Amino acid sequence: MSATNQDKPKTYKTAKAFCLTSACWFTMATSAGMIGAGYLIAPDFLANIEWIHFGRIRPIHVNINLFGFVTPGLLAAVFYFLPRLLKTELYSEKLGIVSCVLWNIYVFAGIVGIALGYTQGREYAELAWPVDILVGISFGLVVFNLLMTVRQRKEPILYVSIWYSCAAVLLTATTYCIGNVIWRPDTGALLGIPDAIILWFYGHNVFGLLLTPLGLAVAYYVLPLVSRSPLYSHTLSLIGFWSLLVVYTHIGTHHLLQVPVPTWLKVIAIVDSVAMVIPVMIFLINIWYTVKGKLGVIYADIAGKFIFTGTIMYFFVNIQGSIMALPQVQRVTHFNNWVVAHAHLGVLGFAGMTALGGLYYILPKITGKPLYSRFLADLQYWFVLIGVVGFTIGLTIAGLIQGNAWINGEALYRVLPEIHMYYVARASTGLLVAIGAYLGLYNIVRTLFFNPGVSK
Amino acid sequence: MRMTPKVVVVGSFSILAAVVFVMVCWPYANRDMTPSEIYRPRSSVEAAGRVIYLRNGCVYCHSQSIRAIDWGHGAERIAQAGDYVGDRPILLGSQRTGVDLSQEGGEHPDDWHIAHFVNPRYTRPNSIMPPFEWLGTERLNTLAQYIQSLGMKEADVRMARQRYWKEESIKAYEAGPDANVKWLADIVPEGWRNIPNPYPTTPAGLERGHIIYQQFCIGCHGPIGDGMGPAQPYIYPPPLNFTILKGRGVSGGILYYQIMNGITGTAMPYFKRELESQKIWEVGDYVAVYFINQSDANKDPRGIDASWEP
Repeated sequence: MSATNQDKPKTYKTAKAFCLTSACWFTMATSAGMIGAGYLIAPDFLANIEWIHFGRIRPIHVNINLFGFVTPGLLAAVFYFLPRLLKTELYSEKLGIVSCVLWNIYVFAGIVGIALGYTQGREYAELAWPVDILVGISFGLVVFNLLMTVRQRKEPILYVSIWYSCAAVLLTATTYCIGNVIWRPDTGALLGIPDAIILWFYGHNVFGLLLTPLGLAVAYYVLPLVSRSPLYSHTLSLIGFWSLLVVYTHIGTHHLLQVPVPTWLKVIAIVDSVAMVIPVMIFLINIWYTVKGKLGVIYADIAGKFIFTGTIMYFFVNIQGSIMALPQVQRVTHFNNWVVAHAHLGVLGFAGMTALGGLYYILPKITGKPLYSRFLADLQYWFVLIGVVGFTIGLTIAGLIQGNAWINGEALYRVLPEIHMYYVARASTGLLVAIGAYLGLYNIVRTLFFNPGVSK
Repeated sequence: MRMTPKVVVVGSFSILAAVVFVMVCWPYANRDMTPSEIYRPRSSVEAAGRVIYLRNGCVYCHSQSIRAIDWGHGAERIAQAGDYVGDRPILLGSQRTGVDLSQEGGEHPDDWHIAHFVNPRYTRPNSIMPPFEWLGTERLNTLAQYIQSLGMKEADVRMARQRYWKEESIKAYEAGPDANVKWLADIVPEGWRNIPNPYPTTPAGLERGHIIYQQFCIGCHGPIGDGMGPAQPYIYPPPLNFTILKGRGVSGGILYYQIMNGITGTAMPYFKRELESQKIWEVGDYVAVYFINQSDANKDPRGIDASWEP
């Protein structure tokens, strides 16, 4: 893990660009989320505005979060640590900047497209075909840059974070094209039930092969450094890596347990969803044993604090996910706000917290100056934490009310007034997350460009 | 195990390839695209309506996927793979913020849908769907045609019934209030017309009826029961003005039956899936006491009073 002996000063332009990308889109994503939450409380709020009504702001919110905030945030850390772990330079900072600019163009083009109604109408695969091509190129450039950096490495051993980051971008570039049925530019879809199968194969792999491996890569890099402890076990990281790839890729069909798809597919999805306990607990045992006895040190470090919290969320969201895949449980939890809570716990609680931790870890290193404000970062931590926990609890309760009422034979319409107050609670806690996003943007922009701090 | 770049790249890629083969390619190769017995292809207008549905993200709140465990709307037809053979993309949905629409076709007449799209609260006061007035008349009509096709052949049967009774109800309405009220009473089966009203009109009962009225009826029949709710301009025959019922032989049983079963062909939906017996009686009593000013509650024959009754 000694990643210090550097010959010449690095510029980290790519890492900085992805940092800024992530911080900016985080504010946009939470703002879009607030608009969506507003519609659910008061549907005549912002009435008859074509571009942002609920059916459009929801996919805008989801796509900005996945491809604007979380992935670039994690990639920023990857572009920082990959060359350091390999004791080399990034293959090309110029290419990195190009990939980041292209990345922003596709996120922007994608959401403008959705706002204007150019959508494939498939969850997580909304972006229109021309944008899909841009996504493919952006991912391709990142893959190329990372793999070429690996190729010119001066360190023979590849640390676990490198396996995860390379596999994440490489495999997601592939599953993105498969899931978006890229060979059908007109609709981006198959016909009938096979379309649902391919969609959820891809949809779940946005978490399984992109956010999770990148998040784990960042956690595996930052937490041992912050706690100044060697990684607990190389063997566990090996088993964790391969089992994650094998198990996670099988579970997408658990979104279709109540749909007429072949039973054997459902069985595989349920069995592997439960088996997710293996890669998840292996990672957690490995990382929690690594930082064992160092919680004080972790808590004192803003990056460690964010990422360690992310690992706790990772525990909850995955155990919950395994349980939710059981058909008996899903009878209650499917189709309602329980699932929305689960998604936020994973994307914001685990991957988002980890991305923010990664940003706060690399910012002082790539600017050579301390963070503009540790206080603001701390404030953001508490806002996001309270926000995501409150959000999850509120929507889980709403989901239980809905699911149990429906299974009890109550009409959906009659249950709407019962969950109204939980929509209000969601918007309130969501507001904390949004404020946190704006605080973070201010802090990160000040750190990058207008930092009065003394250089180290 | 030594993790070289080759091991990472080739290894992870091989795993993905194997999984894609098993989880995507194999089910695709063995797909069954036999249409189900209710399947029929969409007309070009219905297909155009589906594009509007898709582009506006209706799928994020409305599933089209009836499960074996579902009770309410559409539950008479559990989804089969053969129902979806014409869907590209398939629009199963992942949330039920609104109702499932698999069997929505023919549940309501077209005018109800237009009023509902212009502002969902015009027909459903508690709805949390955003208004779609901005789509304009032409696109709203196209969208409505798609919605009316959901359920395919079963929707066609329901639509035929809607159209038949639409004509009948318009004839009755245009024949004037006396003929209309008589028609509305005559379509109720004999036993229901004379059924004794089992709920006395207590203040609490009227208050409960008031709440139900506000949650279900006010959008069409209006706050004072004159049929001038916000949905009125979109609906024909227009919502009933309750105040014309006085002295025209309406009974609690007739009100009960019409609320329970609705009047197919008109915008008046059935409420028997959403409201239990007591709620229907009490909203009927509310209408009778406040808007008609003529109620048969508390009248004989009433058998033995229930223990709580005054």
